[in-house]
Amino acid sequence: MNKFIVLIFFFINFTDFDAKSDQFITRQGQVSFFSYTSVEDIEAKNNQVLSIIDISKKEIAVSMLMNAFVFKKSLMHEHFNESYIESDLYPKATFGGKIIDFDPSDASMQTRMVKGNLTIHGITKAVEIKTTIEQIDGSYIITGDFEVPVKDFDIKIPPILAPNIAKIISIKFRFEYQHYEK
Amino acid sequence: MHKKANIIFFTLGLLILIGVYLVFRYSGDSYMNMNTVSTDVEISSGELISSFIVDEDAANLMYRGKIIEVEGIIKDITFLNNRNTIFLYGKNKYSSVICDMYPNQEGEIKDLKKGQKIKIKGVCKGFLKDAILLNCMLINTTINE
Repeated sequence: MNKFIVLIFFFINFTDFDAKSDQFITRQGQVSFFSYTSVEDIEAKNNQVLSIIDISKKEIAVSMLMNAFVFKKSLMHEHFNESYIESDLYPKATFGGKIIDFDPSDASMQTRMVKGNLTIHGITKAVEIKTTIEQIDGSYIITGDFEVPVKDFDIKIPPILAPNIAKIISIKFRFEYQHYEK
Repeated sequence: MHKKANIIFFTLGLLILIGVYLVFRYSGDSYMNMNTVSTDVEISSGELISSFIVDEDAANLMYRGKIIEVEGIIKDITFLNNRNTIFLYGKNKYSSVICDMYPNQEGEIKDLKKGQKIKIKGVCKGFLKDAILLNCMLINTTINE
């Protein structure tokens, strides 16, 4: 996690001027997750996700506060932060990766794979995520969805609540970037 | 026999009361109504950002999960993702306080302008590149400069 923060800091502060002009940022990216079971459906949204892309390096970095997910029920919010994600111990989830075969000069909608490392609950896993990249007025919108097995990230569900939580969580994201100017 | 029945009724009554309390306590959405909670910390947006930049861990201990009244100058107002969001200037131009406003604040937000000094109450969630406050409400209306 610390390495990731250093990467973002480096991204923002120490790249040269020409590279900066290739950077785009969103501070209001949206990430939603869904858990569907026969007992209960759980959904939460985070609307303050930070993401930076560098189109010349074809790199993407994402960081979000786990306690900023908003649930329909306060009890779900409490269980998520205190029992499952332990957001006091692991406050952020991060992703850093490469957009494979991305062509910034192609103004049409592109579907590309993003390969990188996803860190949740202090556990880092290599993931590949299918994304759609739109270029609008010289800026970018990246959307996509993927699935995460709960057990991959050492998230322990008490046996009594196991029927309420899906073993595979669906995640959707939408990042609407603006040119990053210093 | 009569005494035993009384104990059973009393226990059942107690369980029902606890159940009703829990339903009211937890069935609401995860938004917190700022009108019903007292403020933990009053601070300017610049000082809040500086605290996180200087020592994020220490600032998290002081501010994360706390009800904060933050005063600052409006940098931007956005309506992305159907959220009403106010950005307040930090001491540097790279970081702001992001205030995700409570839905009932929509009318008041429309009257605000960039550069205006305002005070907002919300719950601090932490810091990414900006400090993030949720469930925010404008307080003391606006302070026109």
